[in-house]
Amino acid sequence: MSLTLDGAQADAPVPAPVQGYWGAVFGRLRRDPVALVSGIVLLMILLAALFAPWLAPASPFQTSMLNRLQPIGSPGYPLGSDELGRDVLSRLIHGARLSLLIGVMPVINAFVIGSAIGIVAGFVGGRTNSVIMRVIDVFYAFPAVLLAVALAGALGAGLVNSLLSLTIVFIPPIARVAESVTTQVRSVDYIEAARASGARSLTIIRRHVLGNVLGPIFVYATSLISVSMILASGLSFLGLGARPPMPEWGLMLNTMRDAIYVNPWVAVLPGMMIFTVSICFNMLSDGLRSAMDVKL
Amino acid sequence: MPIYFLKRVLYVIPIALAVSFFCFSLVHLSPGDPMDAVVSPDAPSEVVAMVQRAYGFDRPLPEQYGRWVLRAVQGDLGLSAANGRAVTAEVFSALKNTLLLAFAASLIGFTLGCVFGTLAGYFQGSLLDRLVTGIAVGGVSVPHYWLGMLLVIIFSVELNWLPSSGAGPGSSSDWNVEWAYLRHLILPAVTLSVIPMGVVTRTVRAMVADILAHEFVEALRAKGLAERQVFRHVVKNVAPTALAVMGLQLGYLLGGSILVETVFSWPGTGLLLNNAIFQRDLPILQGTILVLALFFVMLNLIVDLAQARLDPRIQRG
Amino acid sequence: MVYKKTAQTWHWAAPVAALSLGLAALASTTTVQAEQTLRIAMTASDIPLTTGQPDSGFEGYRFVGYTIYDALINWDMSSADEVSGLTPGLAESWEVDEDDQQVWHFHLREGVTFHDGSDWNADAAIWNLDKVYDEDSPQFDARQAGNVRGRIPSMDGYEKVDDYTISFTTSEPDAWFPYQLTFLLFSSPAQWEALDGDWDEFARQPSGTGPFKLTRLVPRERAVLEPFADYWDADRVPQVDRVELLPMPESSSRTSALLSDQVDWIESPAADAIARMESQGMTITSNPYPHTWPYQFSMLEGSPWRDINVRKAANLAVDREGLETLLGGLMVPAVGTVNPDHPWFGEPEFEISYDPDEARRLLAESGYGPDNPVEIKVLISTSGSGQMQPLAMNEYIQQTFSEVGIELEFEVMDWESLFPNWRRGADHETSLDAHATNITFGWLDPFAAFYRFMHSSMAPPNGFNWGYMDDPEYDRLLDEAKVTFDQEAQDALLAEFHARMVDDAAWLWVAHDVGPRAMNPRVQGFVQAQNWFQDLTPVYIEE
Repeated sequence: MSLTLDGAQADAPVPAPVQGYWGAVFGRLRRDPVALVSGIVLLMILLAALFAPWLAPASPFQTSMLNRLQPIGSPGYPLGSDELGRDVLSRLIHGARLSLLIGVMPVINAFVIGSAIGIVAGFVGGRTNSVIMRVIDVFYAFPAVLLAVALAGALGAGLVNSLLSLTIVFIPPIARVAESVTTQVRSVDYIEAARASGARSLTIIRRHVLGNVLGPIFVYATSLISVSMILASGLSFLGLGARPPMPEWGLMLNTMRDAIYVNPWVAVLPGMMIFTVSICFNMLSDGLRSAMDVKL
Repeated sequence: MPIYFLKRVLYVIPIALAVSFFCFSLVHLSPGDPMDAVVSPDAPSEVVAMVQRAYGFDRPLPEQYGRWVLRAVQGDLGLSAANGRAVTAEVFSALKNTLLLAFAASLIGFTLGCVFGTLAGYFQGSLLDRLVTGIAVGGVSVPHYWLGMLLVIIFSVELNWLPSSGAGPGSSSDWNVEWAYLRHLILPAVTLSVIPMGVVTRTVRAMVADILAHEFVEALRAKGLAERQVFRHVVKNVAPTALAVMGLQLGYLLGGSILVETVFSWPGTGLLLNNAIFQRDLPILQGTILVLALFFVMLNLIVDLAQARLDPRIQRG
Repeated sequence: MVYKKTAQTWHWAAPVAALSLGLAALASTTTVQAEQTLRIAMTASDIPLTTGQPDSGFEGYRFVGYTIYDALINWDMSSADEVSGLTPGLAESWEVDEDDQQVWHFHLREGVTFHDGSDWNADAAIWNLDKVYDEDSPQFDARQAGNVRGRIPSMDGYEKVDDYTISFTTSEPDAWFPYQLTFLLFSSPAQWEALDGDWDEFARQPSGTGPFKLTRLVPRERAVLEPFADYWDADRVPQVDRVELLPMPESSSRTSALLSDQVDWIESPAADAIARMESQGMTITSNPYPHTWPYQFSMLEGSPWRDINVRKAANLAVDREGLETLLGGLMVPAVGTVNPDHPWFGEPEFEISYDPDEARRLLAESGYGPDNPVEIKVLISTSGSGQMQPLAMNEYIQQTFSEVGIELEFEVMDWESLFPNWRRGADHETSLDAHATNITFGWLDPFAAFYRFMHSSMAPPNGFNWGYMDDPEYDRLLDEAKVTFDQEAQDALLAEFHARMVDDAAWLWVAHDVGPRAMNPRVQGFVQAQNWFQDLTPVYIEE
């Protein structure tokens, strides 16, 4: 969904959960070659991140002043070395951990918090809904990048602050989608019936609403991961996120910028990784959307 | 209809106030002391106190906010903590450069997006469609600061064709439609254009495909309507939405150019903001965010109103 | 709105043209040059304050201080071979009072005019002193005061004696007072009056007595200097017709600007890009200058640095030659605050070199070992004035330290946070319990080199004794040097002091910067002085 978070105007419900629903979704996903390939690539990167210490040929921190800025394909440095002589391949592999973490975590956090806010607003309706949604509107007055940079800049540089600011960036759009989906579900007959029969709100939310709304919200949230990856690494690139000497793709891109006159093609590798992950999440999210038949 | 317009316009006021409150409180969350940017660290304490009085940092926060908003309404956003110049002038002279960049990027992105989207929509399912869709997904997925670096490496470092930074030989206030200046605009504008390009392509492609799939288009075609007229029909239906999408994109570019401006040292609001963050220049930080956010709010308003006027069925909000 | 719309020409049509031209014109890239314009890319992110007392540290003084203005005593920047000394500026001579060592007499230069044509005299001098010292005077400017007062710690009072004589009173006898006065620059009272007393306007149309006048100021983008033909020192009338100063904080931007001929001269080129610049025919100039890149230790309770073995081991654990390679040769290894050939170096017994075995032995003696490493936290910055390449250098030190059993942890701050912390001290909350701070500095005079860091009276918030060094012997030597008005005797005391400091391994000394600059070969006549400041007047452009 690009850096724009648009499309938050959810207009449609909501597949009723049926037996084997998720099985069917996966079945459809498997037949979507683009989504399948994206999923496999992501899985491989994820595995590389998990098993980084075993996969990486060298330490991501081991500096070697004699072997600085080696080009791609140098002996011992398959993808070259950075400005401190660290093995770029190893740093890319280790970098997957932090980069995925700071890219995906904000969306997960925002998914939990935003869904809760949106579902409550949508289910309760009335004045509460208005108040919550007007507050959410305020955040819509800021383009996502500006909001992220403003918050991270104000809070001060650092991983935690960058996670925090991105979470805040993604709560409003997710809450808006959640509210919109919930409002539609709420008026569906069987929930009206459950309310009429005097069931407690929490019970209704748990039994009837959640199952119906989480799917679409989830699909929407997955479409945000790509933006989140770009923004999280972007904050590190600006010096507002990860700190040296941590391997993180955005930060690597930043520290190798000065080397573009010496070793240009090594300097662009971390960005290539961000791009790959971002595009894969986008395509997987598209596949998921059509597999789950969600219109957002 | 007029009631909708009025309501929509009036709704801007509480949003603007909330935005200003957010901007103000935001910078007071920050750990840095604004004084540090104003006086050198070896200044005696009486100088510190004196500068503090002059800048008003010693007043209670609600009073600072009240004064800030009152002055902001009159176009006075205070003085930069780092250089003592008027924030308003700083922000607007940077905004001018950012607008230039954002418009250039929008134009490139919108043009390419419309062409790509229409082609893909017309030839849905073809190889061309898949190629275009791929480019569009790439456009919205690419970390544009990285794309900027890539373009610098190719066109500045390797080929030495285009400059990689700055706005031109004179200052940006000398900016002119001359090659000497334009060549500085090319790389940042192209870099920034990929996002609107991707978004517009996707929107236009979906709408064109949708319209062409409608039965009445089939019917029109069956009636022997010329392709040109079908195309006109498509354009008439797609244009408002595409323009609305582009309008919103322009807003996102204004805020989103911070990374690209940093890569290319383009003297716009993004670079201003970036410097302000690292110099802990709070008045500039507040002022820039406020102006950009309000600009964005107004742009949203215009897009909403224009859309509602063009297509009364969509009354958003 | 305060914002005034300037009547200039940029059009919405620009992007269209950009698009069409973009395809066609990927060919010719040469820009036509105005004759004899010297374009300099600075590392600052903005044009330093031009009202008289610049901000942005010494770079501000270098480019908009000593160009537009003079001090009573100027730096002699004419020689590349020796450390720059003082030379008469707006004062022709000065002396300390025979009876009272706290009083100085300055005899002002006659026949000097400001750029606006008004005269330099004692009234103008006093007016400028009021500008930064008298809060009740109409011309008082808080920003200038903030920028300069801290640099003249001994100033206590001043008065006019006659039209061309003024006298100063210092708070205590201070043989280093003349050095401090090099930071006090003099703006034109007449110009300020003409601009209705508006310092913001003065920043745009300043008037000093310096060899250059500022003719254009575009904040954040550009300042243009032109020669002042009536400069009082005929030997220093500028050779070029224009100097353009451009702020470019990113080193890759500066590199690219130089290589694509957008500028003629860049400050602090990235070490890695130097080979590339040289291969494209650029000239690299460098010369050591009074600069030190150290770790300043915390001597507070709990700091490992309280153990002299740890301090010595640290000094022996740094491979300074490896570091020199890292920086492409653009540094000089530091074995003390000043260079061994400097009169203040003295004859220390502790010889600093790279000796990891000895370092390990010293650590073992204090009970440290592979299973029990010394754990040390250091405040470092990502960049900053004179910091060279802090991240790369610190990581390198971290590396060589780990080989002898010292584990370094960094608190990375931006320069704008690290610098203010300097005066707050190791026990301040913003120090985050760090044991050392990594701030580089220039040592133009003994006060700046030693006193403000090592004298116990300079503990925060009075000075930069960040780590609360408190040693009666240091205090005694410094106090004595400060009131020794005979140069040789003073030097001897300072040498004794410095030798003690080295024997004590009071700091970790790592490097001296050499102030690299990269220039287009058409820039000629530049003499890189052994100084933070440089003279732009002899520079000319050879077509």
